[in-house]
Amino acid sequence: MSQLDTATDPAASDTPAPAPRDWQALARSTARGAEELEQDVVLELLCFRLADGTYALPVERVREIVRLRPVTRVPRVPEAILGAVALRGEIVLVVDLRVRLGLARPEATREARLIVLHGADDRVAALLVDAVRDVLRVSEESLQSPQDSSGGFVRELALRGDDFVSIVDVDRVLDFDAE
Amino acid sequence: MSGSGNASLEGKALREFVSEAEEILDQLLTDLADLFDQRSSLDSDAEVDPDLVNRVFRSAHSLKGLAGMFGLDAIGDLAHHLEDVLDGLRLGRIEMDSPAVSLLESVVLLLVSLLEGVGDPDREAAARETASAKIEELRSALQEAPAEEEGFSNLSIDPQLLRALTEYEEHRLRESIRRGRHLSLVDSVFEMVSFEEGLAELSAAIREVGEVVSTLPSPGDSPERQIRFSLLVATQISVDQLRTRLELPNTTVQSVLVPAEPQDTPEDPSPSEQATQAPVPPETDPLPSAETPPSSGESDGAVAEGEAKSPDIASLRSISGTVRVDIAKLDELMNLVGELVIQRAAIEEIASKLAREALTTHIGQELTKANRLLDRKLKELQAGVLEVRMVPLRQVFEKLSRVVRRLRRDLDKDVALEFSGADTELDKLIVEQLVDPLMHIVRNAVDHAIEPEEERATCGKPRQGMIHIEASQRGNYVLVEVRDDGRGLDPTLIRARAEEMDLVDPSEVLSEKEIFDLLFLPGFSTRSEVSETSGRGVGMDVVRSNLTSLGGIVELRSDLGRGTAVTLTLPITLAIIRALVVVVGDHRYAIPLNSVLETLLIADGEIQRSEGREILNLRGQPLLLRRLSEELEIEETERPQKQYVVVLGLGDLRLGLVVDRIAGQQDAVIKPIRGPIQQIRGIAGATELGDQGAVLVLDIASLVEDAVRRKECA
Repeated sequence: MSQLDTATDPAASDTPAPAPRDWQALARSTARGAEELEQDVVLELLCFRLADGTYALPVERVREIVRLRPVTRVPRVPEAILGAVALRGEIVLVVDLRVRLGLARPEATREARLIVLHGADDRVAALLVDAVRDVLRVSEESLQSPQDSSGGFVRELALRGDDFVSIVDVDRVLDFDAE
Repeated sequence: MSGSGNASLEGKALREFVSEAEEILDQLLTDLADLFDQRSSLDSDAEVDPDLVNRVFRSAHSLKGLAGMFGLDAIGDLAHHLEDVLDGLRLGRIEMDSPAVSLLESVVLLLVSLLEGVGDPDREAAARETASAKIEELRSALQEAPAEEEGFSNLSIDPQLLRALTEYEEHRLRESIRRGRHLSLVDSVFEMVSFEEGLAELSAAIREVGEVVSTLPSPGDSPERQIRFSLLVATQISVDQLRTRLELPNTTVQSVLVPAEPQDTPEDPSPSEQATQAPVPPETDPLPSAETPPSSGESDGAVAEGEAKSPDIASLRSISGTVRVDIAKLDELMNLVGELVIQRAAIEEIASKLAREALTTHIGQELTKANRLLDRKLKELQAGVLEVRMVPLRQVFEKLSRVVRRLRRDLDKDVALEFSGADTELDKLIVEQLVDPLMHIVRNAVDHAIEPEEERATCGKPRQGMIHIEASQRGNYVLVEVRDDGRGLDPTLIRARAEEMDLVDPSEVLSEKEIFDLLFLPGFSTRSEVSETSGRGVGMDVVRSNLTSLGGIVELRSDLGRGTAVTLTLPITLAIIRALVVVVGDHRYAIPLNSVLETLLIADGEIQRSEGREILNLRGQPLLLRRLSEELEIEETERPQKQYVVVLGLGDLRLGLVVDRIAGQQDAVIKPIRGPIQQIRGIAGATELGDQGAVLVLDIASLVEDAVRRKECA
């Protein structure tokens, strides 16, 4: 049924889309409940607060979310690596996401959390964020590109109500070799 | 092809296959090497140990079954054809000297490389081609099969018993007759409840003087309680001698052969006439398969042959009575134990809190007591898990002995390898990483250190060169020493070479030890001229770096003209170390205690300076000092009046590490630091110490190396 529906064409997200079509898709995705979204490719995003913005990363990369705990300083590492924490017997490096994204260094509050990613050894990390908000479900087609991606870590934006959520490119964040 | 099937294999099952197959191939290589040895040391007509040939055959058979279960066609097919050739060998269809035999080792080596490629589709495809080429070679080897056909006319054996013999047993019987051995039928009745031990005992006693050609069960006089075994036996000693030797209750020994020139005996048309002499009751079938209880698996070739025809699963079961455990699972267990230790510390905290409150003093004390018991059990658990990881060095030594045998053949040098302390145990991970360095050292010794026979003779040395490997445990360390009685190292030659390469200044005064140390420098070793004249040095830098990564050290002693000894010192386990916890500013670090020689308390005034570096007079010797705060770029708070120096030793290198405070010793489980940065120079890993969270473990090897290198630059 959706063959003629341009908004659900899988190829649509790959090419820069003309504005009217995006509007239709957005209107539909906000109007419909999650169940009705099933026919689109649904993306689950964990939203968190960083400085004064809302950011997100794909839920499937998240292993767990834990409270901030004592961080052991590690020498000879880039500034954005805050140190190492012990997580149930495992030792994991903490990436201070504010520093990594070039934002002001945070004052850790009681809401601060570590988002622990899973994957192979070098893809694991604990990301320090100011606070964790919730999980947002959006269709992949509704994602938009930030006009300026010079920062390099945010490649896509999702819309939550009227506010944009910046989706963090996790692989880029963890790639310290490039620098 | 089964490419898609392979891809769908679960990784875990595949890993299990690989580790089991590795074990089988290992055994195969050892046995084949023995086989070659026997064949070359015996005169051409002598017989190789049939048990050995059998074992090789069974290994190939197991491997075939295993590969079949996992759908690995290339390995399975090759193993299948290997099995065919081996079967031909053990049945006497193929001569021991035929080209097929020399093919065997190359086939097994190919299997090893096929195994390495498992899981990698490209390599598997390539492997399939090499395998089929090898199979063709094997096939053509198989064709030259001389048939042997001869009746057993001269034997006084029940024909029913003869009919029950397998092809292999028949072959062994013929072989024994051909060699003029004494044949007898040993008949023994056992109690049903204990027949396995009894039969094993009997077979072992017979094997001391001969061979059990076949073991056939039949019901005893009271079938519900007893079982009778008839063993067809071939011996060098006479039947009477055998009878007196065995002297077991309920056992009869009867000759079944007229030993006078079997060929000359006229053909007896009906051996059944002598059937009444045979101890097997003629009215019963010698193989009443339905009633016979399952025969013992280890008894002999007869049973093995039976197994060979049953489904492959049955033979797999017999390979090993032990449980194979992925080392990662043991790591998980170790982690759990570590967490328990931390939880226990938390309980202790609560207990002492309770004990301080007047109302709960009693409960607090009780809890403390219970907690102490828990602590003791935890320590036992920890030791138990550690013990499971330990494996004896024997397997490594056996690999080495194979290498020496091969080198001996290739280089045509007479070298013997002896080892002692093969039961010394080490962490499995360390043992695995020890193979390559040891291989290097032993290869060097055979290749370069041991002189050719004539040269040895002129020096008044025994013609046969000797390499001795000795392992021993010293506390938390294991020492492995490789000694040879070869030509030894010439310090003058090494020094001259080093000066030529600009590694040493001609004016520099070096001790003999320091000169030998030059051999461990990267680059030095690759010069073949040096290795030929000095007798050693190939890849010694690799050996040192391997050892360092294991937290071990390598040392070298040599006596010119008399021999060289290389000593490897290794921690018993990487999993748990005893650590010295030091404090700098607000930070704690753990230093593996095995690299700590001593700790000193010094006043600031004791530190002397030379060219900007700090040194300490340690009993008349200069000790280079480094501040841990500077090494790790920690902002220094006020320098305390008194400071501690941790004296580190890495082989012959010494370094004094200056810290603020020493917080004590602790058992620590070293863990890798996971995250986007994989290698942090100076940090070996981290450990969780009680409530202090993660504590970094210093990598002493790199700290000392960096410090010494800077000294050279300065």
